[in-house]
Amino acid sequence: MAMIEAPPPAVAAALTETEVQVTSGFQGARIIVYGAVFDPANRPSDVVVIVRGPEQPIRLARKSRIAGMWLNSRPVVFEGAPGFYMAASTRPLQDIARFGHLRRLGAGLDHLAIAAPAERRIETRYGVRDMVVSSLGADYLDWRRAVVRLKQKAGLYAADSTAVTFVDRDLFRAEIALPTQAPIGTYQARIILFQDGQPVSMRERTLTVEKVGFERMLYVFAHQRPWLYGLVSAIIALAAGWAASRAFRRS
Amino acid sequence: MDFYLPIAEVSVNAPLLIGLGALVGFISGLFGIGGGFLMTPVLVFLGIPPTVAVASESGHVAASSVSSVSAYSRRREVDFRMGGILASGGVVGAFVGVEIFRILRLLGQADLVVSLSYLVFLGVIGALMLTESLGAILRRRRGDPPKPRGERRPMWLYALPLKMKFPRSRLYISVIPPIVLGFFIGILSAIMGVGGGFILVPAMVYILRMPARMVVGTSLFQIVITTTVTLILQAGRNQTVDIVLAVMLLAGGVIGAQLGARASARFRAEELRALLAVIVLLVGLRMGLGLFVTPEDPFVLMSGFD
Repeated sequence: MAMIEAPPPAVAAALTETEVQVTSGFQGARIIVYGAVFDPANRPSDVVVIVRGPEQPIRLARKSRIAGMWLNSRPVVFEGAPGFYMAASTRPLQDIARFGHLRRLGAGLDHLAIAAPAERRIETRYGVRDMVVSSLGADYLDWRRAVVRLKQKAGLYAADSTAVTFVDRDLFRAEIALPTQAPIGTYQARIILFQDGQPVSMRERTLTVEKVGFERMLYVFAHQRPWLYGLVSAIIALAAGWAASRAFRRS
Repeated sequence: MDFYLPIAEVSVNAPLLIGLGALVGFISGLFGIGGGFLMTPVLVFLGIPPTVAVASESGHVAASSVSSVSAYSRRREVDFRMGGILASGGVVGAFVGVEIFRILRLLGQADLVVSLSYLVFLGVIGALMLTESLGAILRRRRGDPPKPRGERRPMWLYALPLKMKFPRSRLYISVIPPIVLGFFIGILSAIMGVGGGFILVPAMVYILRMPARMVVGTSLFQIVITTTVTLILQAGRNQTVDIVLAVMLLAGGVIGAQLGARASARFRAEELRALLAVIVLLVGLRMGLGLFVTPEDPFVLMSGFD
């Protein structure tokens, strides 16, 4: 009889909330990711939680001083940037896994696949054909870093190497802090178990952020029937102004 | 109490916003101006995206101007014919202005043009008003007679074709100057999120030579039409009108405006003008300052993608 092999290590996880409703009182939301690591062999485990919001192209400009004034450059469009991004882990990511793994998984702010495809050209340089060059030139990294830095400042990007904590032997938790300006849409939360520098198990959970009630109604109205919305807004504004003058005339 | 604005997609403090609306309303009632040039920068400062601030502010200006126009028209101080001619230019200007704003936004130069417009227009108007009103105050202090107003109308105003009678203003002039003036104000109203009264009123006094009594009511009437059209265009073309924001500003604004109008009786006209000039000048300089101060971060994210 063959030896029964130990089952492979696995991770299980869930979110405390899978739908975030944006109403007039919306002030952001805190969602807890909790889960457990199953490993009969009890090898040392690391857990990484990556949350990505809906993708949004970004327009970025650089200010430079011309004739004493700070003017914007032509805006550069970056693609592949999520509207929200959070990487939480039990330890600093570079201690958990090698560069290649992190890059493939898009784990960590340095490994986001942000690019400016419109700036890319294929040229022959130094006799080498089909070289990909960017018209942003040597400053390309500065631009890319600026995307991350500005999003971080707005509270939309975050990386925290201590945010996943083991609360009991194999039980862990992490917190997702959604700011008020978190974009509407579907979010993907990936919970990855690392052992020995290798991703061994992964779970994916989805989270939706949506406007509800009056806010949703107005938003949909304004975007789907913009002209009618404009007309109704104008009527509301004019009627309010007229009503106010009537009210004060009587008093 | 924080309130989430559905179009601006930011959370704002509702009592603060209503209070600011009341304060700007008070100033606008005190000086007989729309107050857009004050409100738009304040909204941007509070973190509302500039594109939404400019567009929603036109709703606020339209509403507060309607409430004032009805008061002026009861006193027969609105020249509807002149207002209509100005507005016909204004509507075309608003169309052009909204398109210009849209293109500037795509080029990433909207902030620059908005800041420069504030610096140049408010700076110049504020400086002119300040020298004029300080001169009037000094003359009164010394007991000199007030400077006689030049009664001679510029000849070119009469040399132009397409003359029309404006019985209420007792004018018989070409419609070209008011149409051009209205067109220019329409563009400004779309780009700066203002009614344009601060330029329209002096222009009507010094260029069109309308009777002072008719000027404010007529300019408000033209502002109602232009800003209403701007509001609809901004909503239709740019989807940047937040009606919740506009209504919140309005709620405080109408009360403030009535209180301001009552308070204005306690001040002398030239003192009010001097005070207004200082406010206009400060807002212009503050908006322009941003162009010259070294930014915290050399990179900026552009709002409004399309």
